[in-house]
Amino acid sequence: MALWIQITPGSDEPIYVQIVEQVGEAIAKGQIIAGDKLPAVRKLAAELVINPNTVARAYTILEQSGLVTTKTGSGTFVADPKLRCKDATDVNILCERIDTLIARSLNLGLEPEDIISMFKARLAKFSKTKKPER
Amino acid sequence: MTDTVLETQGLTKYFGSRMVLDNMTVKIPRGCICGFVGRNGSGKTTAIKLLLGLLKPTAGSSKLLGCDSQQLSPQIRQRVGYVSEGHRLIRWMSIAEIARFQSAFFPGQWDGKFFREMIEYFGLSKKQKIKHLSTGERAQVSLALALAPNPELLVMDDPTLGLDAAIRRQFLEGMIRLIMQQGRTILFSSHILGDVERVADRILVIDKGAIRVDCSLEQFRNAVKKVRFVFSQPPPAKINIEGLLRFKTSEKELELVLVGTGEEKIAEWAKSAGAMDYQPVNMNLEDQFIEYTAPAGQTKLFSWEGI
Repeated sequence: MALWIQITPGSDEPIYVQIVEQVGEAIAKGQIIAGDKLPAVRKLAAELVINPNTVARAYTILEQSGLVTTKTGSGTFVADPKLRCKDATDVNILCERIDTLIARSLNLGLEPEDIISMFKARLAKFSKTKKPER
Repeated sequence: MTDTVLETQGLTKYFGSRMVLDNMTVKIPRGCICGFVGRNGSGKTTAIKLLLGLLKPTAGSSKLLGCDSQQLSPQIRQRVGYVSEGHRLIRWMSIAEIARFQSAFFPGQWDGKFFREMIEYFGLSKKQKIKHLSTGERAQVSLALALAPNPELLVMDDPTLGLDAAIRRQFLEGMIRLIMQQGRTILFSSHILGDVERVADRILVIDKGAIRVDCSLEQFRNAVKKVRFVFSQPPPAKINIEGLLRFKTSEKELELVLVGTGEEKIAEWAKSAGAMDYQPVNMNLEDQFIEYTAPAGQTKLFSWEGI
């Protein structure tokens, strides 16, 4: 499984947030796909030398956002994309972030077409890295 | 299990006329790793010694595993591991001798095989005398001695002080290994906040003998915020906002350090004070600790103005 989590203590981002973001990115990039199992809480805690509660906290947040599901006794799995809920507030927050980026891009003197092509190029990075067939 | 393994009630200690611990009242639940942080001389070691019954309080009381710290029975003591500051071990003994000596305090629960494996892993030989070991090696022996009885409660007083990064990591691994077992609890003091952030899920902050924070690490991370406000004219001289810890004003900017102030309260205040814009300043755990324990109005040693 192509999931390598690296944490940086002393960052302004709490460790559980770092895990949530890295798992989220791995899912978005297709490095892990629906049905893939995430490392067990205790195993990841031992590997990263962090408190198991911190890993559990990250998994809970991932589960609440619908990215993973936990099956009692067998572990935590990447959820089926169709079953992921698209929360209206999440989408709103995302739109606000995009607004910030657009404002910055325009302030840099970029043309709208430049911004669109940049966005497309970055997006391609995510859809390109699909997982090989098993 | 969410029972309390460690609790103090108004615990106070004077050395002569000097107060070192002021009315400490805390509860530490079972199953957590609690990072105990505070500046040098803030009272951490005194608090730990009082908890373990190694010092008598001037006032107040404390309980360890439900038993008064001043009257700990051998049965309670053998459920508690203690690593003292500086890893003081009996110097004339060999590693094997000190293991045998220590194991006698933990009848029926000493894991000799695990102890030997750790000593081997550290590249030490059981015949080596304590007095011939380096600081790091002595710390490693001390770690093995602390983990071998598989204590229900492990208390460590600044265990990684002066150790290199690799040995420090071994201590953190040791803590994680212990906490993975059902019902274990660890209290450790440290100055290395990156280590605390890694392994602790609870934090105790002590400042000049007084407990300032006793909560989950996540709560502390969320509670202490720094926000920068921008004004079109000089910022207001009077700042009336809930949770204000300190502020710094410059010509048209104002920086507030806030504790437990909600986002809406911040937005409300910004509006009422006539701020043009505001944004949070990112802080890591160390920044938060420094802001939280700095004397009023002071966070930097030098004035950097005009540089």
